[in-house]
Amino acid sequence: MQSKGEKMTTKKSISEKMKDLEAATEWFYSDDFTLEKATEKYKSTMKLAEEIEKDLNELKNEISVIEKDFTKE
Amino acid sequence: MQRVNHLGDRMEEQKITVSQFIESVNSLLDCGLQDVLIEGEVASFKVNQGKWVFFDLKDEESSVGCFLPVFQLRAPIEDGMKIVVRGLPKLTKWGKFSLTVKQIMPVGEGSIKKSYELLKKKLTAEGLFDPLKKRPIPADLTKIGVISSTQAAGYADFCKIINARWGGLNIQTAHTQVQGMDAADQIIRALRYFNEKAEVQIIAIIRGGGSADDLSVFNDEKLVREIAASRIPVITGIGHEVDESLSDLAADIRGSTPSNVAEMLTPDRKAEIVKVRQTVQRLGGKIIQEIDLNSEKARSMVVDIKRQVVSKIDGVIETIRIKKQMIESMNPEQVLRQGYAIIAGDISEGNVVKITTFDKEVEAEICKVKEKK
Repeated sequence: MQSKGEKMTTKKSISEKMKDLEAATEWFYSDDFTLEKATEKYKSTMKLAEEIEKDLNELKNEISVIEKDFTKE
Repeated sequence: MQRVNHLGDRMEEQKITVSQFIESVNSLLDCGLQDVLIEGEVASFKVNQGKWVFFDLKDEESSVGCFLPVFQLRAPIEDGMKIVVRGLPKLTKWGKFSLTVKQIMPVGEGSIKKSYELLKKKLTAEGLFDPLKKRPIPADLTKIGVISSTQAAGYADFCKIINARWGGLNIQTAHTQVQGMDAADQIIRALRYFNEKAEVQIIAIIRGGGSADDLSVFNDEKLVREIAASRIPVITGIGHEVDESLSDLAADIRGSTPSNVAEMLTPDRKAEIVKVRQTVQRLGGKIIQEIDLNSEKARSMVVDIKRQVVSKIDGVIETIRIKKQMIESMNPEQVLRQGYAIIAGDISEGNVVKITTFDKEVEAEICKVKEKK
């Protein structure tokens, strides 16, 4: 059974989504490809691409300066 | 007499030993000239027993003897080289005045170049710059350690470029001096901090452009060795493209400038967006291509079937034509046309028979009958 903490909290990173996009792309060039499934797959891949684009535009870096004083041993 | 006694009393009061005198002088020197920086030219450089370094530091008019343990010599020096030393003036127990050197830095383009070449030769021979030891930039980079002065223009360039190019990175910056005599030790401490305490995947040492004197800290032997020994891969972006330091050679990857380091560490988000869009477009194209391919296959099958039907029909027509020809060849009319004739009636001598040719009917009397041999 899924615990409360696990529920819907798995937000994927950009690199994970990029890997998903790569896998989805590979399907289109694999032996599993069928025109029947292709439209559905294309729609989900397009949605994933839109998410990646949104993430890429919105994500910021976290830059912090370490408090340690390096002038002293 | 009385005067002598008075002097004798006073001398009795102020009397100290030679050792105490030397100790007092050293205390005064320590207070008044602590960590003094002196610039001069090296003369009479020598290493005794492989442990102690002695040389004179001189200018046009004066000279002072300098001493230091060999392990503190962090940049090769030779007679004639211009250097800055940080040290403590000291009167030895033999009454000789000298400078106990803590740090040495070559100054001036010629001396820096000479020291650089000597150290490069030594460290190359030790294999410190071996290309086979170089590690690549880790894949899936999310945590970066930066060593730089947060006030430096090079650091600002690095942050600007990396923020424009990519997101989601955790960047920890160790603020240190990046020029001057204390810079090397501070950078070494920051390198150790990252290697021992921080979870970063790569360490970037960055500093913008500057004079040969400004950048000479990156030729410090101890710093160069620390970079080469780093557990975490190190990338450097020091000065401009043309500035090559020994730290660059010891690092796993060399960027030409701080901005270039930012470019090397991150993909460009704009280029990635274009790539993602192109991927989706390509998939749409692939579906259309598959549809076209299937339509073409279907068309081709229809043409094939049509061709087979036509071929069958042609075969039947041909069969009929041949059979018709055969039937026609058996028609008596055709035989008569070839010159043959039909005789009807009793073939005996004196009887009249009916002869039919292609175009005539004849009645004829039989004159003679004989059997064929």
